[in-house]
Amino acid sequence: MSTFFIELVGLTDEARREFETSSKVLDIVANGLTIERYRRFLLELYHVVWHFNPTCAAAASRMSDQHRVVRYFLYDHMTEEKGHEEWVLNDLGVVGVSPQAAQAYRPTVALLGLNGYNYWSADRRHPCSVLGMVYALEVVASVYGGPLTSAITDSLLLEGDRGISFISSHATMDAEHMAELRVILNQVEDDDAKNAIVESTIFNFHQFGRVLELI
Amino acid sequence: MNEVVNGLVPSALSRPYRYVKLEWNADFAMLTVRMGVRPIQCYSLAAMAELQQVFTDITAHPGLVRHFVMASDVPGVFNFGGDLSLFVLLVRAHDLDSLRLYARRCIDLVWWWENAATLGVHTTALVQGDALGGGLESALLHHTVICERGAQAGFPEVLFNLFPGMGGWNLAIRRGGFTVANDLILSGQIYTADQLFRRGLVDIVVEDGEAPQALERMVHAMEPRFRGTMAALQARRVAAPISHDMLLTIVDHWAVTAMSLNTRDMRLMERLARAQVRKVGGANEGAVEEIKRMELDTAWGFERTGVSEWATLE
Repeated sequence: MSTFFIELVGLTDEARREFETSSKVLDIVANGLTIERYRRFLLELYHVVWHFNPTCAAAASRMSDQHRVVRYFLYDHMTEEKGHEEWVLNDLGVVGVSPQAAQAYRPTVALLGLNGYNYWSADRRHPCSVLGMVYALEVVASVYGGPLTSAITDSLLLEGDRGISFISSHATMDAEHMAELRVILNQVEDDDAKNAIVESTIFNFHQFGRVLELI
Repeated sequence: MNEVVNGLVPSALSRPYRYVKLEWNADFAMLTVRMGVRPIQCYSLAAMAELQQVFTDITAHPGLVRHFVMASDVPGVFNFGGDLSLFVLLVRAHDLDSLRLYARRCIDLVWWWENAATLGVHTTALVQGDALGGGLESALLHHTVICERGAQAGFPEVLFNLFPGMGGWNLAIRRGGFTVANDLILSGQIYTADQLFRRGLVDIVVEDGEAPQALERMVHAMEPRFRGTMAALQARRVAAPISHDMLLTIVDHWAVTAMSLNTRDMRLMERLARAQVRKVGGANEGAVEEIKRMELDTAWGFERTGVSEWATLE
């Protein structure tokens, strides 16, 4: 029997592959980043991570008991992700960017679009759409986080986890999250919610790719 | 009504494909399918769906296609097999059912190739570049394998604790015998075109760039004895049978094995993928060279130091 998770994987596979095969992403995987571009990458990432829990909270606050299992999943997930923007700040500190500079940083229009869409979708489209954001970002972290970490470490000659603690730890940690997310996705039954999750996943893959293109 | 004009694909087969290009030779009723999944040529879900559609259309119009040719539209690469990122995604999601579903879709394709002779279709693989894992499996599926001398191929799966699950064992045994299959699959070694020929795994080796001419010569020579050849190939299936049940049993075992891949195994897969990405970007060395480095390290690094670089990956 086909589950929603495999439906989601199949329906969004093209978007995932387009992210994976965009020339900028390929270039980063192959050659890593200069220190300047890595700083910009982390600054963008800081604003992704900062808005992750508020977006989940906005979605959870709009979920009826029909989707209680998703809402409870989000509570747990937010607890696990709480404070992770500090990890990005620590990595930024290693590459010479102060917390004040990170907070004052103006995200690219691509990132504003990404965060804006996720808030809008949770508010106006369907609160379960947030699972599309969670899925796309966890795929990026758990599937591509490893190669990205290796590429950046090699190009910047970083030692151990210094300066890459956020992406290297999420490459491993999000593997467990992915298994938990699959269980929750398979409990989503109504078509409106499923359609919104698929749309959100496709948008998040697309837009995260645009963010990487602009750094 | 189907056109039979050279170059113009009959309308019964023509569709707006994205990952496969169809070419038609009306003189021999020969359909060439050029797969082009860029930048890394592999069996992605979308490419597999398109290939399945091509097979469905051929099956629905008996007699229209007499020769099926599988080729690559990506220079230097025939096919690198499965979509490694999709594997990693499903393994990390602990999703055995979905991995099994993907694997069974592969077997659907394998089964069409295996039955092509009963449809009156002779199949040829035009290997003009490297073939790894599922890419090599798909080449060995064809009745005739024409390989250019610069191409290299192998089953590297054992290096990351997996094995070729989509017919690799059956096809290697059928073509080269048990000893050759053992070496090919259990060593993880990469073979040159000449080494593959000496082991009976490919039928014809030609110089680089000469595979299309070799194909034409072969098809031309086969023409007067086409019916007899097809009958013999059907009989060959009886003599050396590969059953659907056998393929499904092995692929289910493959999916269960894939679920036990650990972080080190997946790092190795990622490393191969990254090497190939670098090659696409202009570097001299890709996945094949990375595998060779792993072989050397296993053979000599461990010999000298007791530790292999690959063994220490976590």
